[in-house]
Amino acid sequence: MKKILGILLVMAVLLCNVALASNLDDSKAMFDEAVATLMTTDNHPMLAPGVTFDVPEAVGTYEELEKLEDTNPDKWHYYEYLDWDTSADATFPESPADGAKGKHVICIVHGAHAWTTCYSEAFQAACEAVGMTCDIYDPNWDQSTQDGYIDQAINEQPDAIVLIPLSADHAAQQFKKITDAGIPAFCSNTLPEASAMNFIRAYTGPNDWYQMRVLANQLGEDLGGKGGVAYITHNVGGSPYYARCFGPMSELGSKYPEIEHLDIQSPGFEASAVKQVVSDWITKYGDKLNAIVLADDSDQAIGAAEACKAAGRDDIIIVAAGISKQGAELIQSGDLSACSYQSCQGDAGLAVRTVAEFFNGEDIARVSFIGTDIINAENVESFLPCQW
Amino acid sequence: MNGAQKVDKRKVEINKFSLIFNKLGIYVVVLLLIVAGVILSGGQFFSASNIQSILEASALIGMVSAGLMFVVYSGNMNDMSIPMTMAMAGMLTVQFINLGFIPALLIGIASGALIGFINGLMIGKFRAHPIIWSWGFNLLLSGIVRVVWQGKQLYADTVAKPTEFAQRAANTFYAISRTYLTSFISLMAVVMIVMFVIAWFIHSKTSFGQKLKIIGTNYDVAKFSGINCTKVLITAYMICGVCAATGGIFFSALRKTSSYENGMGYDFSCLTTVLLGGVQLCGGKGSVIGAFGGVLAYSILNNILSWIGLDTYSKYLVQGIVFLFIVWLNTYSNRKLGKA
Repeated sequence: MKKILGILLVMAVLLCNVALASNLDDSKAMFDEAVATLMTTDNHPMLAPGVTFDVPEAVGTYEELEKLEDTNPDKWHYYEYLDWDTSADATFPESPADGAKGKHVICIVHGAHAWTTCYSEAFQAACEAVGMTCDIYDPNWDQSTQDGYIDQAINEQPDAIVLIPLSADHAAQQFKKITDAGIPAFCSNTLPEASAMNFIRAYTGPNDWYQMRVLANQLGEDLGGKGGVAYITHNVGGSPYYARCFGPMSELGSKYPEIEHLDIQSPGFEASAVKQVVSDWITKYGDKLNAIVLADDSDQAIGAAEACKAAGRDDIIIVAAGISKQGAELIQSGDLSACSYQSCQGDAGLAVRTVAEFFNGEDIARVSFIGTDIINAENVESFLPCQW
Repeated sequence: MNGAQKVDKRKVEINKFSLIFNKLGIYVVVLLLIVAGVILSGGQFFSASNIQSILEASALIGMVSAGLMFVVYSGNMNDMSIPMTMAMAGMLTVQFINLGFIPALLIGIASGALIGFINGLMIGKFRAHPIIWSWGFNLLLSGIVRVVWQGKQLYADTVAKPTEFAQRAANTFYAISRTYLTSFISLMAVVMIVMFVIAWFIHSKTSFGQKLKIIGTNYDVAKFSGINCTKVLITAYMICGVCAATGGIFFSALRKTSSYENGMGYDFSCLTTVLLGGVQLCGGKGSVIGAFGGVLAYSILNNILSWIGLDTYSKYLVQGIVFLFIVWLNTYSNRKLGKA
């Protein structure tokens, strides 16, 4: 009897191992297939590998760097890089390394928006392609609701939680709660404060600073290294506010010292409000205004382009962070000189890819970014139709 | 007996400043702002491009304020459903663009009238609290828009079928916010001015306007005087809805897309301009001309702050101070003249 039980036990263990190995093999096969075939609606790979950057050494403490000029790239080190103390990292849950297939992920986004709809759909499609299931919770831009969803998600005990934090400052608490509950926590899209990384298994998202610096270099060349530039920002205080205003400003400041920085305004995302600001700039600065950097290539770009058109100033170079349908059309019509490519579906894809790699037992980078490109009149066709 | 008599030493003469301000209202402030603008802009204030900028900035907020004025004047404080009325009108106009530009436009405007009718019915007939109801209705409309269109943005040229007729309708839709009738007056600005003229006529020259004043001043008196308050309030809300819908359609055309977020914040920014113009939250006091002045003051102030080159935070600070000052001035002059 004992012998039979022993044989049955060994067989059960063997069967389990075979099943796990089989699941891992199946998962890897599905993953490879998904990476090769799943495309964004603008026909780019949705599950493209992330890009990683080495964090340069800061030239001072946060307080010391705050005293530097806005045009000095060193000033923005702690805004630009997730430069956290890894020795304070929490103990992260180990990967079961038994394959992504069959795993359940809960994704908590920030709020309802056309971008979020696009992201959520891509996230679901990517999960399905790699064999995972997912639920998506939308707190509709409310911090307490997002906190509530985190508690709910923890109670449901998913295999992983992906979170787009509503606030960079609040992210550390949120991710600590998830990691303390023994659930792998992944941060997507919005850059958290650096200390939050102690509780985040991996961050994936766009590299706003890098893409805006690349865009600024393009602008500096187009301006011939001199002229006046004005800036329309993102919502004041958020990470895109710093990246999309002070990223290009400090890049131009360090590479093109003859370029004058005329003004920074934050009229929001309403085309008519941006139009008034740009019209006022045109009247006030006249020929001194040679270029405008925008944090958004849809409403802001429409407002700026309409103002320039109404004033007959087609010489003003406008660049923006993008890419939306309106932005692409403005590039095609020549009203917008260039914008940065920030793939919404690629953003979701990279988050899912990282989670799947984690379950497949592969090494994953703590911080990885989606690829970027500069879109201009010459290559805009290859980014159409726009994702949202 | 004689020694006990007290002499009333309180001032009874009318303060001249209060009288002037009460007569001219917000236009005193507009004039002061223009003078400040001329000085700060080094004479460029009256340049075509600057006038264009001010009118453009006034256009959308003005269209909506022209209608909201009736709701505030009726004593119902604010229409919190304005944002979704604007969004819904934009969504429907784009959704029905294949029927042609004019039918789509009429459907969009009709949606505003319908929303106004429901608001007016609930607040006028069933005496729902105007803020709570319109806020709740705004949420409901927001849910409807998100469920029906799945939170996506609608583009007229994408929704339009690939026929010449439909594409022309989409292009006409986009063009309405980009058409200039002279070198510096846009179609949007003209529509806004026409809407204010119509609003002035309705408010000042019709029996509806008189009834609205009585309702705004004292609802119970109006009711017992035989005024059909429900009908008047439904009409006031329908005017507000139509104006908000018109603003929403121009808004969508300008940003080349319709989505549920169009019009966000217009409920309060338009209320600000209406209150700046001297229309009082308690109802029954104010005028359409005053509301127009409020819109002008709002835009000219923004224009001047851009000239000064203030950063965004400082702009908010100055705007807040100026708006509080104007509201205080209105209240002060009314009190001095015994009107409040």
